[in-house]
Amino acid sequence: MRDKIESILSEVKTKIDAAVSESKLQSVKSAFVGKQGALSLLMKEMPKLDPALRPEMGKLLNEAKNQVTKLIEEKRTELKLKASEVSPDFDCSVPGILPEKGGLHPITQMCYDLNDAFRSMGFEIFQEDDITSELYAFDKLNFPQNHPARESMDTYWLAGHDSGSTNEKLCLRPHLTGGSVRYMQTHKPPYRFVYPGRVYRNETTDAHHERAFFQYEALIVDKDITFTSGKVMINSILSKVFGTDVPVRMRSGFFPFVEPGFEIDMQCQVCGGKGCSVCKHVGWIEVMPGGSPHPNVLRAAGLDPDEYTGFYVNIGLDRLVMMRYGVDDVRLFHSADLRFLRQFR
Amino acid sequence: MKLSLSWIKDYVKIPEDMDLKKLAYDLTMSTVEVEDVEYLARRFDKMVVGVIEKVEPHPNADKLRVCQVDVGEGESKTIVCGGINLKEGMRVAVSCPGALVRWHGEGEPVVIKNSKLRGVESYGMICASDEIGLSELFPASEEAEILDLSDFDVPAGTPLAKALDMDDVLLEIDNKSMTNRPDLWGHYGIAREIAALYDLPLEEIKPFETEVQSDFRVEIEDPDRCGRYIGVEMSGVEVKPSPYRMRNRIWKAGMRPINALVDITNYVMLATGNPTHAFDADNITDHIVVRHAAEGEKLVLLNDHELTLCADDLVITDSEGPVALAGVMGGAKDSILPKTKRVILEVANFESTGVRRTALRYDTRTEASSRYEKAVDPERCDQALALSMKYFGELYPELQVTGFCDRYVKKPERAKIDVSLTWLAKRLGKELSDETIKHKLELLGFDVQIEGDQMSVTAPTWRSTGDISIKDDVMEEVARLYGYDNFEATSFTTSFEGAINQKDQDLIRRVKEYLAFRCGMQEVYTYSWMNDTFVNAVLGSTEGVLRLSTPPAPDLSYIRSSLLPNLCEAVSKNERYFNDFSVFEEAEVFFDRNYTSPYDETESLPEQRRHLGGALASSVKDITRLFRETKGVLESMPRYTHMEGFTFRKEEKPVWADQVVWLNVFRGEEKVGDMGLLAKKVSMDCGIKNLSVMLFELDMTKLVPLKSRTNKFTHLAEYPETDYDISMLFGSDTAWNDIYEAIMGQKKASALVKEAYFVDEYRGRQIPEGKKSVTIRLTIGSEEKTLTSQEIENAANQVMKKLGKKLGAELRMQ
Repeated sequence: MRDKIESILSEVKTKIDAAVSESKLQSVKSAFVGKQGALSLLMKEMPKLDPALRPEMGKLLNEAKNQVTKLIEEKRTELKLKASEVSPDFDCSVPGILPEKGGLHPITQMCYDLNDAFRSMGFEIFQEDDITSELYAFDKLNFPQNHPARESMDTYWLAGHDSGSTNEKLCLRPHLTGGSVRYMQTHKPPYRFVYPGRVYRNETTDAHHERAFFQYEALIVDKDITFTSGKVMINSILSKVFGTDVPVRMRSGFFPFVEPGFEIDMQCQVCGGKGCSVCKHVGWIEVMPGGSPHPNVLRAAGLDPDEYTGFYVNIGLDRLVMMRYGVDDVRLFHSADLRFLRQFR
Repeated sequence: MKLSLSWIKDYVKIPEDMDLKKLAYDLTMSTVEVEDVEYLARRFDKMVVGVIEKVEPHPNADKLRVCQVDVGEGESKTIVCGGINLKEGMRVAVSCPGALVRWHGEGEPVVIKNSKLRGVESYGMICASDEIGLSELFPASEEAEILDLSDFDVPAGTPLAKALDMDDVLLEIDNKSMTNRPDLWGHYGIAREIAALYDLPLEEIKPFETEVQSDFRVEIEDPDRCGRYIGVEMSGVEVKPSPYRMRNRIWKAGMRPINALVDITNYVMLATGNPTHAFDADNITDHIVVRHAAEGEKLVLLNDHELTLCADDLVITDSEGPVALAGVMGGAKDSILPKTKRVILEVANFESTGVRRTALRYDTRTEASSRYEKAVDPERCDQALALSMKYFGELYPELQVTGFCDRYVKKPERAKIDVSLTWLAKRLGKELSDETIKHKLELLGFDVQIEGDQMSVTAPTWRSTGDISIKDDVMEEVARLYGYDNFEATSFTTSFEGAINQKDQDLIRRVKEYLAFRCGMQEVYTYSWMNDTFVNAVLGSTEGVLRLSTPPAPDLSYIRSSLLPNLCEAVSKNERYFNDFSVFEEAEVFFDRNYTSPYDETESLPEQRRHLGGALASSVKDITRLFRETKGVLESMPRYTHMEGFTFRKEEKPVWADQVVWLNVFRGEEKVGDMGLLAKKVSMDCGIKNLSVMLFELDMTKLVPLKSRTNKFTHLAEYPETDYDISMLFGSDTAWNDIYEAIMGQKKASALVKEAYFVDEYRGRQIPEGKKSVTIRLTIGSEEKTLTSQEIENAANQVMKKLGKKLGAELRMQ
């Protein structure tokens, strides 16, 4: 009997090991410990045994039965943990379900990236109205009367407000700098602020020219600023936007409201400065004008230019975004075309 | 502006080994933007001068000839050509295989190859002037006329570039980068700048002197508009072509050679930047008077336009009337004519803004006016006169000066500026030695005296017409000559007075991020002007809406007083591609009212406000769903963006809204905006076909950000709370507000009900006419114990009883 028990036990162990599913395990269970199972049948043979052996054999048999039941339970737990809740043909390559489809305009994104950078340097954000007077669009910015530069920024004048003295002539602002004078008039120096906004030029549009576009002006005014401090400001902006240190050069440029004035170029990010069609083979791309505010502009803001000076840059946000993504038509920004905008989520 | 390097080298000795890329770079960094450096000879690569030895008919084509041409390679080459003027012994331009030409001067350049033309093997091509880009320098009198180079005495095989003096470099300079530098508008000016940049000697132009005495004279009536006028009367001239060298240079600078008399005036302008003009002296009656035009006076210009002048125009006149529009263009009658034998040369200085006004008035911008309007230095007349007389003398050996008059009524004053060296060092961020500063300025023609900390600077006349006027200008001169690259970046130090705290700015950003990231809306930008179609459809009236005086298009003249017309346009545009989407925009709107300005009491600006507008459009969601989504966006906005909360009620229907589906949005008692369904009629007028559109618009300036977060902490419920749904039948017009009030209002239906939520409502099958079924979820719990199911049911029953009593609700029979 002892041998029989032993052989049954080893047979059970092999079968349990081989069982790969719950149902196989169940059949093993009924084959050995079920009512008609091998061990139960042995139990029925008990009365035929020598009574002296019965207690020992009964004990053995019970232990064997418990052991089998335990093994089966262990195997069942193991199978449960291993098993998947779904059928094996579940397809994990089906695409995910997108969260709600929303996003900020790519120019807003750029603007916020810059805001974050400048706020970390202690700059305030300034916002002003789109409609301004000629007084602030040109007079206070050192544009002489009849100066060609007044005309170079072809301006949208408002009907019924397009003649008379310069404080009565109203237009959609051709640039932001007049607004900066407003800021300086109403705040105490030193100044450190950025000023994003939409500006308007009455011109024919094409892939590179728009009637409404975005500028981002940054201005520091303090007692001991030199134009070389501007380099730090420019580097901060570009490394923030492009994620690496971008070589920058400042070269001579002319704008009535700055002295000295600069054109600021960055190394072409498409060719790395080697020269390509994007940079017209010069390796540099003009990104922003900059310079120290002209003494007359500081005076218009009520400051003494002998005491104060500063540095200013004016970034064309549209252009920067175009460079960041390789967008080739500036008119897409005002198109409200979701096929375009959804690319920048 | 295009400049020829060989021409510049007439005036400054640029070392032969100078790297031109470096020259262009240095000019760009310090002075003007050099947009392009072109090695002109490259245009004529693989082109040579050939001599035609034999011309024979083509066996298979009437219009073609077979030529034997010596191209300097020993054996002569066979070239098939359709030219009508082919002769034996003629020198021609031959494009050899590999050269780039334009067929008949049109289209993209093509590469020349050996090829068979109607059965005859042809080497390269004998070219017409337009095929190699020279039609302006060598105008052809007929089509299919071959460029005849017989006047050029060079052997066969000479590279064409060398034969035609095209072995030159062209610098293209961005005109915008030198609007403030009138002195640079000419080869001499750029040569002077290069001489300063590299400390090279500059060639001087020797002044012209004459002893002539005659009756010839010039009068100037307004010295403010014409500071100087030199007239030179000459005989012994005639109309003939100018020498090739002069034509070549005029062509390189981008102008068209005409005849020797006109070419001299243009050449001198291109050299010195001072425009000059020549009149036919036989047509000038008596002496020359520079005066204002009489109101209504007529003048026919060289371009045949007849002008009716006004008193602000300055004219050159003889005793019979105007002969030229000063500084802009000559008159047709008295300028150079085919029979001209005597000329009067004008070398003059006209005041910039006057020239500019006149040129703009008649829409006649010329090479001359564009130079005068930058403010030219009157001393430059001396150079222009000297060069003119040099070339008149060279081209006309018979020349006689019969009259001369230099009327110099307003001499320029050189700008004098005092600069403190301490100030200069502070602004430069770098201390330069006195010698360096003095040397750099002297290179540019400034006179400099330094005494202690004081530097006294006198600008040269050519920089004294407005360009240099303050000490900051002097600083710029020093910095750019020293080289901007040579200044190291310095950090800026400023004190922090506290953290930046701009609640209004934060609110705008949070609102945008809320709409984009939580509500799944896409931000769009639209123009500030509106299309008439959408203005009429959405706003109905244009009262109080501002307009542009010269709009981008006739139907885009209104500037927005609401964001909704443009958002409706955006919806209609996107309908082609999408059937379920939502957009928003935050931008400024304008109203023709409340003119004022906080900055300047004399300024009056209209009312301008920042608005937030949104549109949720769908053809797949039903209107209830769309309405609830839109209302959800607004209801949750104050919580998520940390501003004072909204309430909704109906007070005044927005004009664009459906009769039933709309709400006004309030903050406290102040109306801050609207929301609603775009009425069907409006939607159709907007060209929206299948989409239902919910709109909202808020006045951002009326929204109030919270000073800090106001979330309240409550202890976590100690005993479990249970959700319990009830469905009841209400009258179809019962408002949820009233149901909620009955459950949760002042006298609560049961103290155990913590909150009541709207789950859904249903009308239709199984629901009696005039009724709706509303499902309400109650949250039931107690602070004192765990409720039994009996207690929970009792609480729900109390609610149902109250709803029955107060609102006539009945239990819905399943």
